[in-house]
Amino acid sequence: MAWPIIWVIIGSFSFTGGAPQEVVPYIRGSIATTMMVFALMIGGMSNLPASIAGDRENGLLSKLISMPIKPYRDFTGRILAVISLSLLAAALVMAIGLALGARFTAAGAHILQAIGFVFPVIFASAGVGLMAGTLIKNLQGAIMTGVGIAVVTSAISGLFAPYQFLPAPLQTFSRVYPISSAQASMAYLLAGPNMVAYNPLTSGQVTLTIVLSFALLIVGIVLYSRLGWKLE
Amino acid sequence: MFAVRVENLIKTYDSRRVLDGVNLNVHEGEFYALMGPNGSGKTTLAAIIAAVKTQDSGIVEVYGNNPAQAKKLIGYVPQENFSSPRLSGRENLAYFASLLGYSRSRANQLVAEMLNNVGLSQEADKRVANYSGGMRKRLEVATVIFPGIKVLILDEPTTGLDPAARRSFFGLIQEIMDKKASIILITHIGSDAELASRVGLIDNGKMIAEGTPDELKRKHAVEDVITVETAVKGDSVLSVLKGYSINGKVAESGAGYKIYSQNGDRILADVVRSLDQTGQKVMRIEMARPTLEDVFFRLTERHLEEATG
Repeated sequence: MAWPIIWVIIGSFSFTGGAPQEVVPYIRGSIATTMMVFALMIGGMSNLPASIAGDRENGLLSKLISMPIKPYRDFTGRILAVISLSLLAAALVMAIGLALGARFTAAGAHILQAIGFVFPVIFASAGVGLMAGTLIKNLQGAIMTGVGIAVVTSAISGLFAPYQFLPAPLQTFSRVYPISSAQASMAYLLAGPNMVAYNPLTSGQVTLTIVLSFALLIVGIVLYSRLGWKLE
Repeated sequence: MFAVRVENLIKTYDSRRVLDGVNLNVHEGEFYALMGPNGSGKTTLAAIIAAVKTQDSGIVEVYGNNPAQAKKLIGYVPQENFSSPRLSGRENLAYFASLLGYSRSRANQLVAEMLNNVGLSQEADKRVANYSGGMRKRLEVATVIFPGIKVLILDEPTTGLDPAARRSFFGLIQEIMDKKASIILITHIGSDAELASRVGLIDNGKMIAEGTPDELKRKHAVEDVITVETAVKGDSVLSVLKGYSINGKVAESGAGYKIYSQNGDRILADVVRSLDQTGQKVMRIEMARPTLEDVFFRLTERHLEEATG
């Protein structure tokens, strides 16, 4: 969780060098939004598999499997814990960004809509995290896999780089990947259309984002319930 | 009806057969120890009975049901410390009580009773990180004494505990026994297994012997065990000792060796004399009745501690 915070601090000063003074607060706002999304990704994709793999290593998962409880009680608890942790981290990143001068053009309903796009990010990240925690048995492996997926998909989906600089196939990926699409929607709502190279708020794009984020979550849950709790 | 019935159990991992036709019956209220070295299959067997793993073939029943359908009757304590060190003892037990669906008030009442049963009432609100190894294991055993649990499976619960903590732990087990629960203790420590009413010895996935500790010793280790420590260990000592041990079997034992003889009291002086003649100074020599570790050695020709290590 430290990395998004560090990058908000570094990015707020080093990535605004050549920009006109009046635009700088909005660039900082965009950076804060991106790092908030990244913090949510790390929460789901790395902390969640770490908790699963850690419990597997320390015997808690065996203990839970031996008890007369259903897997949903386990993964619901894990996902709720990740949501709490992620929201806390996201709020912290945003608070630091605002303290460093991040500003947004949005007001009222747009802010609430932008907050709504936090949830596809959380659900998609939790889905990926459940998959990583199910398939990677070792604690360090699960953590590194989660961080790796978060960093690589962030890079190739344009989370860390302007969308227009991406090659065409990655631009397509950026629109399909629910996390980058949700991030673009947040940036569009909070900082205005000039900060995003396409309109992510078309009904088709929003539907795709929501459906795919839930799909990732459901695949993660099914995989975890079937294989994570599988009697070997 | 048996509390636990295992018949012709087979389990294979990556073409290695870790359980090879195991048969085992545990009676209601019985304290059964399953003893064997690491890799012998005992932990896999425990996990199958605890519904954590499934077998390739064979029958496993807990009170006549498949373990997955009898989870309410099973209490499993894995080898690892699974309690959260960040939570207090009370919070850890409350977590398991909530998973089992107890209301908050009933959970609080049960947790207080269980903490009292395992002697942790005074430390209930301390973080588990501050518990000793013995206290932590007792807390984890408390997770298997919820009402309704009739079969306790304890996997290597005393590993790493000092003698006082082990005594305290088995005092707790005795209290559980008084409540008519069946206990399956997985261990590689002979002195722990000696406390059980019956012991099964497992090696390479097969049950190699079963009986009460006395029966096992009478049947498989009728000899006296002579422990010899010399100033220096080595081949010359070994060659002398082999001449005095039945079938030439000599086991490593701490700083010395163990040999087996049917008339130990008569050969003690001869052993000392022979070693003296080869220039080996005897530091200590003593004779004892065989232990379950000696039984294991007689059956497998491997020392349990070596096999475990």
